Parts: sequence; structure tokens; C-alpha cells
Amino acid sequence: MDAEPIVRLQDLTVRYGRFTAVNRLSLEVPKGCVYALLGRNGSGKSSAVRCLLGQQKPAAGDASVFGLDSWRRRRRIMERTAVVPETPDVPPTATAEALQPFMQRVSPQWSPAAYISRLDGFGVPRRTPFRRLSKGQQRQLTLALALAGSPELLVLDDPTLGLDAVARRSLYEELVGELADRGTTVLMTTHDLAGVEGIADRVGVLAGGSLLVDEPLEALKLRWCRIRWLPSDAVPEATIGHALRHLEPHAYRPGTDHAVVRGFTAAGLDRFRDEARLEVTGVDCLPLEEIFIALCGGDNGGGAS
Amino acid sequence: MSIVLDVDPAAAAPIWRQIEDGVRRLVASGSLPPGAAVPSVRELARSLRVNPATVSKAYQLLSDAGLLVVRRGEGTFVAELESGARDAERARLLAEGATRLVAVARSMGATKAETNRAVDAAWREFTEGGEGTKDGR
Repeated sequence: MDAEPIVRLQDLTVRYGRFTAVNRLSLEVPKGCVYALLGRNGSGKSSAVRCLLGQQKPAAGDASVFGLDSWRRRRRIMERTAVVPETPDVPPTATAEALQPFMQRVSPQWSPAAYISRLDGFGVPRRTPFRRLSKGQQRQLTLALALAGSPELLVLDDPTLGLDAVARRSLYEELVGELADRGTTVLMTTHDLAGVEGIADRVGVLAGGSLLVDEPLEALKLRWCRIRWLPSDAVPEATIGHALRHLEPHAYRPGTDHAVVRGFTAAGLDRFRDEARLEVTGVDCLPLEEIFIALCGGDNGGGAS
Repeated sequence: MSIVLDVDPAAAAPIWRQIEDGVRRLVASGSLPPGAAVPSVRELARSLRVNPATVSKAYQLLSDAGLLVVRRGEGTFVAELESGARDAERARLLAEGATRLVAVARSMGATKAETNRAVDAAWREFTEGGEGTKDGR
């Protein structure tokens, strides 16, 4: 067993002039993990990713991949890492076919056969210049380029951005196949919370350059939920509000028959039930999207609901 | 081969549990007969677009429970259950559904008689609906 994490950020700080984009961020991505780094635009996701890929020097703290310092050992890291960037870095006039000899020269373990079979699977034309491909095809081509190198780490920067439902689906199918075949470690940033819900092992939520959440997705979904109860005239609202402390309420409007909580446990529910003397009729899991909005919605006074 | 299985990541049950329950239902109903091959972890993960580790976990639990058997190099198959075991599984699933219905009924303060009438009506609707006489209400 390899206990060394594939990606490690330690007290990472990134500044642009006086603006602190990333503030003492620490996180680890263990081997074989699919880590989804979430956050609103400007939360520091891209800066963190640039640091770990050695494209940017942190103001303080460390970023390392495979135990190698990202800034000093960039080349060694990139030999074992593939990146699907947010904005494609393929020359606009290059065709899929023309990229093949180039990739083979750059990287000896890059497999033309794997590349071609993925392109054909996706149905991406091989002789069309990159800029004339649809956005979905462009993303499929970059993914095919990336996966043909059999990377140990795959970094996806908002891979489904601008893709329609069909293209998103095909991208996730391919990604899941890759996970099943090779157990690749994945770090992805994304805005597609519904899509990533079945795929991520662990999620980090960034806001203002710091992590609000860093835990297994399943644990996050277990503790965040909506509790519903049978309204009762015999129970004062204040009693309900007070009893909810056992579940760490996130949102409860007095007079309603439900509350969103962020610290659900079975024992907490029992205590709530006993203290409020209410009949609980349901405990509903929340979609990741709703949890995300609850976490990030009001963090900068931006007025998100 | 493909099996009809659906997961909802936003549902209350974890995805591995949804897969486990889905396979159990298909086995209990006979849609997946003993000896039938189930999709590989990779196939099912791809078609549901969920993490293969999640599918693995569900399959592991189902093998531990004796519902699936893994034959090395061949794949994963539905176990040859004794008919008693299959009946027990059916009864368990039916009881589970009934518990859910009773919970709904009780949360609305419905009586047992009211609930039974609703079951009768729903039963009629299903049987008649199958013959195309449902008026689409």
C-alpha cells in the first residue's frame, strides 16, 4: 500500500498584488481517488490547480505531486500527469491526425492505438482542423490525447463547461471506463454538480481561497439533509428551534414543518425527536447542488439565493 | 447484456445501496434468473455514469449475501438460489414497500381502512391500466 498522497497542497498561498487568491490551502488527493474541487468563479480553484501543475509559483506553502515539488520538478511530474485544460491548448489549425506524431515524439509511452480507438469511439473526425470541431468534439479530442498517455494523475479543469447533455454523458462514460480499467487518480474542478455526484469520492469546496469542506462525498451527503415533521400546535416554535441544535441547523424558518441541517446523525435525530416531541416524517438527502448553494450562497454578499 | 437499473444521485439512499437494491429487486422478480450474467463493474459503471468503486461495493455486498457469484475470468452471475431464499427475498421487498406506504399514510393521519381502500384503488388502476382502459386522469 502506498500511503503517500498523489497530490498534496500544504498551506498553499497565492497572491496577485495585494489580492490573496488562495489562502493557506491544504488538501491531499490519495491514490485512486476522484477528488472534485468545487467553488464559485474566483474562489481560487484555478490558481490552486496552476500551482500543483507547476505553472505558477506559490507566494507561500507547498504544492507537490507524486511527492515531487510542483514548481521545481514540473517536467518529471508532467511525464506521469495528463491535463484537460479549461481552454484547449491545441493549435487551432491542427487536425487530430497531425497531433499524433507530435505526441509520440513528446512522450514515449503515449499510445497512438489508444488515441485512435477513443477518437473513433467518440466519432471525432480525424482530418478536421481543431477550430472547426464542435466544442464537445474539441473536449473529446483533448481527453483522448490525455488518456492515451496512460497517466497516473488526470487533472480536469471544468471538463464539461459549455458541453451539451450528450457530450457530457459521453465524457463521463469515458472517464468512468478509465477509472475502472486503470484506477487513475483524478483531480477535477467543475460546475456540473449533478454530473459529478455519482463519480467523486471526495469533494473540496473552496470559497475565498480557503476550504469550507474537504471530506468524502458520501459523508457530506449523510450529514446534510432535510428533516420533515408533523406540525403540532402543542409544540412552540422556539422549542423546535432549540431542539434543532442537536442536528446543527443550517436553515429553519419558524412556522414551517422542515429544516435543512448540516450535522445529521441518528443519535442527534433521536435527541431532537425526544426534546421537541414531534413526529419526524422524513429525512431527505440533498442533491450536491443544494448543499453547494447552502455553503457558498451567501459568502460574499453576492445575493445568491 | 444490459439490465434495467436506475440510480438517482440525489436520492436519500447512497448510490451503492440503490444498485444493491436494484439488483435484489431484479433477482426477486425473476428478471435476472439464476445463472444469468450481470454486467461487469466497468459496463455498469459506464452505463450509470457512477464511480466503478461504487458498483464494486454493491457487487461485493451482493456476493457476500449470496445473491451473486463471481467466477474468476468469466464474470459475475446470479447465484442459484433455493426457491425458499428467493421467496424470502420477495417477501422482504414487499414488506419494505408496505412499510414505506404505512409511513406515508401515518404522516397524513390516514386510517388503516382508508389506506387499504387506496391500495385497492391503486391495484385496480394498475390492472385496468394494463388493458388500456385507464382514462388518463
